[in-house]
Amino acid sequence: MVEVENLGFGYRGGFRLAIPQLSLADGEKLAIVGPSGSGKTTLLNLVAGILVPDSGRIIVAGTEVTGMSDALRRRFRASRIGFVFQDFALLDYLSARQNILYPYRITPALVLDAAARDRAEALAEACGIGDKLDRHPAALSQGEQQRVAICRALVTRPRLVLSDEATGNLDPDSKARILDLLFRQAEEAGAAVLAVTHDHELLPRFERVLDFAQYRQETPA
Amino acid sequence: MNALFLAYAYLRYHWARSAVLVVVAALILFVPAATQILLSTSERALVARGEATPLVLGARGSELDLTMSALYFSDERPDPIRMSQVEAIWDSGLAMPLPLHTAFSSGGFRIVGTTLDYFGFRDLEVAQGRGLTLLGEAVIGAEVAQALDKGVGDALVSAPENLFDLDGVYPLEMPIVGVLAPTNTPDDNAIFVDIKTAWVIQGIGHGHEDVVTAADIASGTDALANAAVVQYQRITPENIESFHFHGSQDDFPASSVIVVPNDTRSGTILKGRYLDPESPTQLVEPAGVIRGLVDRIFRIKTLLDVVTAIIAVAALAAIGLAVFLSYRLRAGEIATAVKLGARRGMVLRLLAAETVTLLFVAGGFAMAGAVVVSRNAESWVGFLLALGS
Amino acid sequence: MRKLIPTTTPRLLLAAFLLLAAGAAMAQERARIVAVNYPLAYFAERLAGDAAEVIYPVPESVDPSFWRPAIADISTVQSADLILLNGAGFATWVDRVSLPRSKLVNSSDGLSDRFISTQSITHSHGDGGEHSHEGTAAYTWLDPDLAIAQAEAVARAMTARGLAPADAVQDRLDALRSELETLDAAAGDALADAGTVPMIATHPRYQYLARAYGLDIAALDWDAGATPDADQLQALSDLAAERGARILIWEADPGAEAMTATDELGLTSVVFPPLATPPEDGSYLEAFRAAVTALGTAATP
Repeated sequence: MVEVENLGFGYRGGFRLAIPQLSLADGEKLAIVGPSGSGKTTLLNLVAGILVPDSGRIIVAGTEVTGMSDALRRRFRASRIGFVFQDFALLDYLSARQNILYPYRITPALVLDAAARDRAEALAEACGIGDKLDRHPAALSQGEQQRVAICRALVTRPRLVLSDEATGNLDPDSKARILDLLFRQAEEAGAAVLAVTHDHELLPRFERVLDFAQYRQETPA
Repeated sequence: MNALFLAYAYLRYHWARSAVLVVVAALILFVPAATQILLSTSERALVARGEATPLVLGARGSELDLTMSALYFSDERPDPIRMSQVEAIWDSGLAMPLPLHTAFSSGGFRIVGTTLDYFGFRDLEVAQGRGLTLLGEAVIGAEVAQALDKGVGDALVSAPENLFDLDGVYPLEMPIVGVLAPTNTPDDNAIFVDIKTAWVIQGIGHGHEDVVTAADIASGTDALANAAVVQYQRITPENIESFHFHGSQDDFPASSVIVVPNDTRSGTILKGRYLDPESPTQLVEPAGVIRGLVDRIFRIKTLLDVVTAIIAVAALAAIGLAVFLSYRLRAGEIATAVKLGARRGMVLRLLAAETVTLLFVAGGFAMAGAVVVSRNAESWVGFLLALGS
Repeated sequence: MRKLIPTTTPRLLLAAFLLLAAGAAMAQERARIVAVNYPLAYFAERLAGDAAEVIYPVPESVDPSFWRPAIADISTVQSADLILLNGAGFATWVDRVSLPRSKLVNSSDGLSDRFISTQSITHSHGDGGEHSHEGTAAYTWLDPDLAIAQAEAVARAMTARGLAPADAVQDRLDALRSELETLDAAAGDALADAGTVPMIATHPRYQYLARAYGLDIAALDWDAGATPDADQLQALSDLAAERGARILIWEADPGAEAMTATDELGLTSVVFPPLATPPEDGSYLEAFRAAVTALGTAATP
């Protein structure tokens, strides 16, 4: 699903992220751990095509992201990748339903049709928020908000879900439930999961864990 | 469509902020438009009334006061002129004089004593009831009817005046026999009576059916013991025959006289006759006087425009600040949108859609307001002009 | 100001259209002239010919001096194209109704120096003191000379308002004037010797007639058409004795009983209609001539 080769990305602060090789199989769930500043989120941004590496190749779902134009990368991201953030990143002015469908509102790569709406409903139902679709985020609990965010990440039927500390803001009880939910829905959608996490107690649930400390290099001034 | 959807959702969710922005923007758009509409309507109304009134004859003095008195029945009271002046114009055969007696009022509205010719001259139509027929009757303008909530069958009592300081002159109760159709001119705010009725109010004409007077009550000669004692006179079928006028009608007063020349040449000849600065009368052209007034109004309007412009700039800056701050607040949303693969320019589209929606709604309100103003401009201007008079 | 010109243009067009429409309507409808008494109605009819409809609004049985028009009558008068007033205090109802001044013409305007004053009436009212009204004799048309002046005023008013063609009005006025002059001459002849015969009228109506032909007419104030009672007859008898009168002038035939009663006082009854209302027979001219002839005959010894 994801192939990373000889990836190099330099920060302005004098650090450098260097990943010789990293791969993720279809449907695989990979956790990335490591100290703060080790470049975990950077990797997600590179894989998503938000950032462009200085060197190396990234291939996602058989497409070389690093070779694409900005516009193509945006389309690719919108249609092939789902994102779940630590702060949920829901829009306060939209209802849960409209938050889930938000990706369809912001890109011509996706068409908001009846199927998409049905999918949103089904996902919400599966995530246990089927009866809260018309509420605004302010009227939802943290866990419910993250469920909405998970629905939003999966409604576009992505091949890859990028999770950036998705459970970081949740209470310990919720963490496992949300992660399981994410996994279950990703499995049903046939999507691989690449998750950055600090929650070591959750690591056993992943198929593979990658410690990121090894990839961070101090670049000589 | 999607950008508009999101913009609408955003504005609706933050409805208070949106409402403030809409109101401010709508006001900025509406105020100059409404001012323009009202001013041009009042200009039109003023000029139309001025141009519809060829000449006004009156006592020498302020031309504006005379014009306002004859055209708008204003509070200005030019010195009265003698009816012989009216007869002199009839005798000249050059014009039709329409005497106006505007010294009295009732219920805050001016009592305009004139002749039936005035109704024909102004094309006034009776909407309810009939025109003036008998001495003592009144026909009221549409606005008077509405404001006083009076109609055919009701009565008006002239306000007591000490102006002429005449003994034995009591207010006159006048039956309303007709209500005029609205014209959006000062005629809507007038109580029309025959000039002879005005003279009765003034005490020049009177009947012999004695009124109930304070003296009667004091001396106990009056049989009426209750408090509802009338202290005004009333012209009834029983006493109308006794009403008569003392002296020659030539000496009776008129406040002003509208003079309608038969043709331009007659007008020119007439104007020539009143040029003598020693003459106690003057013949003015209301159109010219009004034009002077309108020019003054428009000089004030220029000032108003500058004020409006300054306020508009300030308000636009405030709106700009509000929009800018809201964009800052939405930086997170923008970052999310980018991560989710928003198309290039999506953010700009979103903000543009929002601004356009705001302006559109504000414009809609401003437009609706302007439509309301322009629909009612004539009657409002009539009201404003009446206020100023 | 300049930008208003385009908006006034349609208004001017509209005004022009309305004028044309009004003109068309006028062409179809004859002008309507209202006269407050019969002589003026007669003159107006003579002068207007077919050009105008002349209306004498007073019912047959009512003295126009005391007529009190109903609202509907006033509407008729208000809507006329010309309203002919007699002046000289005749028909005071015009002071108590609203009429369009532009349509009013006082046919005795300018004749006031020839008016005859009657005695004053003094009264008081309100808190004010006494005041008096000086009366004016109103039956001006019983002097054909004044009648001519009134007819001329009527003719001028018609012509000025374009109610009838000026040439035709002038021709008809010339004819009317000469007929009135003939009447005047005939009356002068008929009454040449009547001045020496004191007369009594049952009503004060004949002041101008008396002045025009040098007659001596004292007046009573009897109710028109009523048979005099004993007191009235006594007053008449006293007055007749005092003045040496032997002719009694009635406004209208008082009936045999009244005439017999006055005959017995040695008075010759003559009916002289004052013509404010249309005479039973003939026109103003014919009735006037018949009346002066009868009066002349009665006065001739």
